[in-house]
Amino acid sequence: MCRKVQGMFSEYIDNRLSTEDKSLVERHLQACEACSRELGSLRMTVQLLHRVTEAPVPRSFAITVPAPRHESAFGPASLRWLRPATAVVAIALVVLLMGDFLNVFGHEAVTRGGELLNAPPGQTMLLPNPAGEGNLTATADELTKVIPTPTQAGAGNVTEGNNTEGNASAPVFMAGISGTQSPEGPPSIPGQETVGWPLRQTEIGLGVVVFALATLMVFAVMQRRKGVSIR
Amino acid sequence: MDEQDLVSRSKSGDVEAFNLLVEQYQRLVFNLALRMLGNSEAAEDASQDAFLSAYKAIGKFRGGSFKSWVLRIAANSCHDKLRVARRYRVVSLDTLMLEIGDLPQANNNESPEDYALRRELGRFLNEGLAYLPEDQRLVVILSDVQGLSYEEVAQAAGCSLGTVKSRLNRGRTRLRDFLLQREELLPSKFRLNK
Repeated sequence: MCRKVQGMFSEYIDNRLSTEDKSLVERHLQACEACSRELGSLRMTVQLLHRVTEAPVPRSFAITVPAPRHESAFGPASLRWLRPATAVVAIALVVLLMGDFLNVFGHEAVTRGGELLNAPPGQTMLLPNPAGEGNLTATADELTKVIPTPTQAGAGNVTEGNNTEGNASAPVFMAGISGTQSPEGPPSIPGQETVGWPLRQTEIGLGVVVFALATLMVFAVMQRRKGVSIR
Repeated sequence: MDEQDLVSRSKSGDVEAFNLLVEQYQRLVFNLALRMLGNSEAAEDASQDAFLSAYKAIGKFRGGSFKSWVLRIAANSCHDKLRVARRYRVVSLDTLMLEIGDLPQANNNESPEDYALRRELGRFLNEGLAYLPEDQRLVVILSDVQGLSYEEVAQAAGCSLGTVKSRLNRGRTRLRDFLLQREELLPSKFRLNK
């Protein structure tokens, strides 16, 4: 009983006990001399502590925040647009790289066909001879007759190309592009209807942009961290 | 300008408003740090760190007692300093506590003898506080030296009401035992067992 009552002495001194507990303590104190002395010394200790005064502060603890030197495009506010811009460009780059890796854009065929079709009419081109005997030359005009431009593309055009002017390079060219010939005639070039576009250059460009934005973002974060100081 | 208004303006980045709050609570914070650390220089560092941390975290203050909130930050700052001191064994806490020169309540009519008695008592109390474990010392200082309610002590110490009552009872008892061991050294006026 003494242990239980002594555990309530602090609350009793601070008048924080319920009416019931307070009565319990007071009844016990009337019967127990040791607990009465215990309470007395504890109460005196608390009264001594209450008499301790506060020490004066040696100085002010006010803080200062340095004013921004100038409105810079690389200040903390720029983080608001830098983060989403970097994220968007990075995602675009990842999509392009994945598409290129999985050949979603048909890039190889487009590039080959596109390069040839886009050549100026009179330009002579060097083509590998699948027969293995050196190279063959052909002008862009001759190749256009063999492989129609995208505007002329159609199932019949390729076959007709084989029969024009007995062009010796046509079947060679067709073999070089499409590999083996099917019984129905030379297969159409995959991606022939797709407009060529500089995929590699786009990837490199986006990579450069992501790198530049990320660098700006790191710089802006460092600027923001040069923040609060003290007087 | 009331405290709630100052807190709102501080959250918006008004440093001047925050410094008005600093002015209001710096004595409380410094004295807590002084009694926890026993050293004026360490108490200044801990107090400055506490107000800097409070400014940076003002956006997270969700209402309630700002006093308890800032004292909680101050208590954490003191805890960090004590942890470093223990790790590197910089100075023993007993030695540190003797540096405190502040005293129990004085009045203008105090005689030189009373002044000396008060100084001696103050030294004993500070020694006794240093004798307490950190968690008991914190609640005894907050409750008995700084006069916070149990609820405010619970918020400042970051513990439950039950824990506050338990630590307060044990802390006071332990301090009482410390003073009783040296009772003959206490001024007769302040002896516990009269």
